[in-house]
Amino acid sequence: MEIIKRPGGAMANRPLHFFWLADCSGSMYGEKIEQLNYAIRNAIKPMQDVAADNPNAQVMVRAIKFSTGAQWHIATATPVEEFKWDNLTSNGVTDMGLALQLVAEQLDVSQMPERCLPPVLVLVSDGQPTDDFNAGLAALMSKPWGKKSVRIGIGIGQDVDLEVLQKFIGNPEVKPLQANNAEDLVKYIRWASTVVLQAASAPASQVKDQVSTGVVPIPQAPIASDVEADDVW
Amino acid sequence: MSTLLQNNQIISGELTQQSYSIDTFLGAGTQGEVYRAQANGRDVAIKWYFPHYIQNDLQLRQRLENAIRKGSPDNNFLWPLELVTQQNNNTSFGYVMPLRPNNFKSIVDLMRRRAEPSFHALISACLALSESFLQLHAKGLCYRDINFNNVFFDPNTGDILICDNDNVDVNGATGAINGTPRFMAPELVRGDSPPNTESDLFSLSILLFYMLMLHHPLEGKREASIRCFDQSAMNKLYGTEPLFIFDPQDNSNAPVVGLHDNALVYWVLYPQFLRDVFTRAFTTGIEDQHGRIRENEWRVILINLRDSIFYCRCGGQNFYDSDSVKNGENQKCWACNHSLVYPPRLRINNAVVMLNHDTKLYPHHTDQSQKFSFATQQAAVIRHPQDPNRWGLQNLSTNAWTITLPDNSIKTVEPQRSVNLTAGIGINFGNTVAEIQV
Repeated sequence: MEIIKRPGGAMANRPLHFFWLADCSGSMYGEKIEQLNYAIRNAIKPMQDVAADNPNAQVMVRAIKFSTGAQWHIATATPVEEFKWDNLTSNGVTDMGLALQLVAEQLDVSQMPERCLPPVLVLVSDGQPTDDFNAGLAALMSKPWGKKSVRIGIGIGQDVDLEVLQKFIGNPEVKPLQANNAEDLVKYIRWASTVVLQAASAPASQVKDQVSTGVVPIPQAPIASDVEADDVW
Repeated sequence: MSTLLQNNQIISGELTQQSYSIDTFLGAGTQGEVYRAQANGRDVAIKWYFPHYIQNDLQLRQRLENAIRKGSPDNNFLWPLELVTQQNNNTSFGYVMPLRPNNFKSIVDLMRRRAEPSFHALISACLALSESFLQLHAKGLCYRDINFNNVFFDPNTGDILICDNDNVDVNGATGAINGTPRFMAPELVRGDSPPNTESDLFSLSILLFYMLMLHHPLEGKREASIRCFDQSAMNKLYGTEPLFIFDPQDNSNAPVVGLHDNALVYWVLYPQFLRDVFTRAFTTGIEDQHGRIRENEWRVILINLRDSIFYCRCGGQNFYDSDSVKNGENQKCWACNHSLVYPPRLRINNAVVMLNHDTKLYPHHTDQSQKFSFATQQAAVIRHPQDPNRWGLQNLSTNAWTITLPDNSIKTVEPQRSVNLTAGIGINFGNTVAEIQV
């Protein structure tokens, strides 16, 4: 029997709720949705590594898919160590507003633990909302946890409505990321699930004169790669 | 997943012209990525910067060149050895440093209980940290970013390694990094002043508190009352309204049972002299830069703390607290809850060294002119070869000791001979006098 060397438990920490909001509309059909599936699967291990190296947070993951209507893809808050990604399929319109309504319900004070780190919401879309986006956003922002959330927007391809993503982000310092090829998408998804996750719980070394008006300072996003002709959507 | 360098890619050293072949990706931070690389069959680590980071940190190259020229303050730093560049690519560069061996674990491993050192090894790590930062500061340098991720330790020995030395600069220089939240001194959090040696000392106190208590010294009731722990919460807790959780004058930020249990468990476990120094660090030392605890004081405190360890019969390491003994308190083992029996101990000036079955004495203990030296063993507790009930202190030095017995008779203990652990025996080691107490 090994002697217990020192008393006590692990360092106290707080839950961090992480939400994927994925566009599964018809326009995502084919390569785009498969590349998104690939990019998220690719980010799981780095995300788990970042979480394992962060004693301040207990990361819990959920996912919403939206097309015609919005549904939970991962409804239960899942510890990141157990997080798996079932591939999405695409079909229908872009009810982004409904997706925000759905996440807003879960960010209600009655649904959240009493003490948390800022929730992280990552919205991925290739188009523009076909429903009442503003009503969805208003519902989200009416919740204290919604207001306190760190929101990242990733656009896929040229048809994405960057203005809508910027509205969603709600912080002029953080710009939506536009992925024009599969490689960038992998990079951005990984950035959102590692660097942003880290920033929301245990901010890294602070660069001098860094000014932040947001919930937490968000480090710079990776730079898009040179666009290759055969890799453009 | 690496994004900057590829496997087998060759980069070259600016100083030695040596070719380094990139091997495995080891990790990424906010400034760049770290790889294992080989040169002439030797493994090294290479940090390669993100091009966007270099654009934001204009003094980086010059700072690294200075560090390389000056050399490492001591052997505990994974110090930059030379700059490396890539042919036909001017957008970035990196530096070579020694590779961290696998037996070193991170402070995060300690916080998550994936690394379980004994108290003895843990305190040795704290001591080594204080000594290395003393060496760095004595050279006129400032580290700027002491935090969880820059220190590694061997849970078996307490050896340490300090990495990310690329922010180190002359104290007072304008640097790119302000520090890491939870570790930054309040004046830095508020943006009142840039990092300097005194703010390093604050961060060191935070790190030592974290290591010894597995908790942050400012996270009590006030932290518990915050629902969403965001930037403004952190600014308040660590910057504008910092209050020590064990502030003797103000208990409004006391630890909360169920939320801050480690702080409550560990605080009472350590001797009063450690509580006193942390109290100063986070009361007078919180606002007044002159009140910060310097490494030299930490060294004395941490050596005394390590010397006060003794074993319960269950094997648990406990701490002898002469203040609580004076008050007649009945100390119980934290592990088995049995009343503790104190072993013989040696009083040397104001310090007490517990004489356990495995205690060794070093020049630090036996020679006043060699404070902080642990180079060679000068004495060891030993069991009598014929009588297992008799314990002694063996002279492992090259000089004879003079001992004074309780009846005032004087004897000599030649090298390799031992003196009984009997109450009241005085030992003169040469220029230091001690007394055995039971």
